[in-house]
Amino acid sequence: MRTNASAAARRPSPPLVRHWQTILVAAYALAAFSWTMPVWVFPPKRILDPATAPVMRAFGLWQSWEMFAPDPRREDIRVEVLFANHDGGGHGIMLTAMESMGYGERFQRERWRKFFNDHLRLDDERRLWQPFAAFMVRSLRQEGQDPAALELVRWWRAADPQFGPDVRPAVRRAPWSSHVFHRWTAPPEFAR
Amino acid sequence: MRSVGGMLLRAVAAFDRWVREPVDPRPLCWFRCWLGALSLVNILLLWPDMPMWLADDGVLPPEVHRPPLAGPSLTVYAFSADATAIWLIRGLGVVGGLGMCLGILPRCAAACGWLAITSYSWRNPLILHSGDALLRIATFFLIFARTDAVLSLPRWLRRRGGPAGGVREPPARVPAWPQRILQLQLCILYLATGIWKSGGPAWRDGTAVGIVLQMGEFERFPIPDVLLTPAMSKAFSWATLAFELGFPLLVWPRRLRLPVLGIGLAFHAGLEWMLNVQLFQWTITAFYLLFLDPAAGRRAGADVADVVSPSRPASSVPRSVPACSAGPARPARRFSWWRSPCRAPSQTRPCGRHAGCGDGPVRPR
Repeated sequence: MRTNASAAARRPSPPLVRHWQTILVAAYALAAFSWTMPVWVFPPKRILDPATAPVMRAFGLWQSWEMFAPDPRREDIRVEVLFANHDGGGHGIMLTAMESMGYGERFQRERWRKFFNDHLRLDDERRLWQPFAAFMVRSLRQEGQDPAALELVRWWRAADPQFGPDVRPAVRRAPWSSHVFHRWTAPPEFAR
Repeated sequence: MRSVGGMLLRAVAAFDRWVREPVDPRPLCWFRCWLGALSLVNILLLWPDMPMWLADDGVLPPEVHRPPLAGPSLTVYAFSADATAIWLIRGLGVVGGLGMCLGILPRCAAACGWLAITSYSWRNPLILHSGDALLRIATFFLIFARTDAVLSLPRWLRRRGGPAGGVREPPARVPAWPQRILQLQLCILYLATGIWKSGGPAWRDGTAVGIVLQMGEFERFPIPDVLLTPAMSKAFSWATLAFELGFPLLVWPRRLRLPVLGIGLAFHAGLEWMLNVQLFQWTITAFYLLFLDPAAGRRAGADVADVVSPSRPASSVPRSVPACSAGPARPARRFSWWRSPCRAPSQTRPCGRHAGCGDGPVRPR
């Protein structure tokens, strides 16, 4: 009996068990490659991505690396909130005028740029507009303002085709365009 | 046909060896420590805005929340409500960052950091930048890595309480696979972004960098006028493509590794100066630590010491490759670390331990 047990202990484990590290590394590399490549480079992506999605999602391994790609956006963007108080006063708050912020504030507020410039301003993301308007009214009322109506404005200007020192963001003369993409009249009892 | 099959088999065997052969733990420890510091800074930068980004009465209430991928994910939102979840993310982020940085229960710390990052990434994917994805992936694989050999506060305290003096042994080797996965992850990142960019007309015609530098939203520190010309835009755009497509191939040969990493550091330092993308440049260059060879670093230090004080006997300089007892040691070649020491044709100190030295007993001279 003991002889059988020691023979079993000496028996080499199956290759899948012996080489689990290699298999894991290769499988992860393949999955990450598939997730990040365009389909014209890696056609099996259509099958591999859905197959690996449960694991990538569950462990937070989903990824895409398309920084400024395939082309950078050709417009400089701002998002502004305009509000009018019940007493007739009002203000505008430019949310993402990053170059007018100090270096520290600009660094800390990078996620503002991400949320407002890359998502909130888009028509495809209109589901975000009203929740953001409600959030702004709540925040303003906590700060002692009394907003009655609020507008969300997007500003943009195209990049100059001729690149040179005079196209620095601070000195550029290119005109801005604007569009009010959301209006909301806050009910008087809202957030009181 | 047979030769192609043979080559494939040899390649698979080499990959298997590369993944399974244990490695020096120091690069992983350096990486863990630096990544911990970055995780901590990341959570502190996010801290004041968390109620706005993550709370139910913030900018993304539950009725409009769409997770990055449909289906279950491991996040703190699985077992806690809104306000508690924010404090859990803060607590896990700080504990994880500090633990990784100081080497206190580094695997648990990595798990805490990973859970914090995954949780806020799941709750509001609209605020994420590429640095978040890198932190999330790196902390996940650090859960499985043995990273307490160096840069560890508990180890330092134990050593301080123990007997003084004695020869410091090099740390025991550890499983390589977490380091290999993270190295491959960095290469895949560069390759993917290079391929995506190469499909864009602005990158191909060299105007991409010129366009990005006009965007006030990305502006960081002032850029000299001499760099703001169409020719420089072309040079920077094409150099970016060349670097991102070349890195995954060129970083592997030992002779090219340090120059490639140096170019990468310069590239990301330039981006850090010009563009405001929070911690991305810091996080991506943290991965470079995983490509460093501690033995080469020690040899480089010894070479510098030789240059600084040439009268010093070479044998007094600690080396990772122990001096061979067979015959008198000739003076070490300066900057020999530039080549792999064991593959150099004229090995100055045969040790009998490495492939280039015969991998066997040292022959008497």
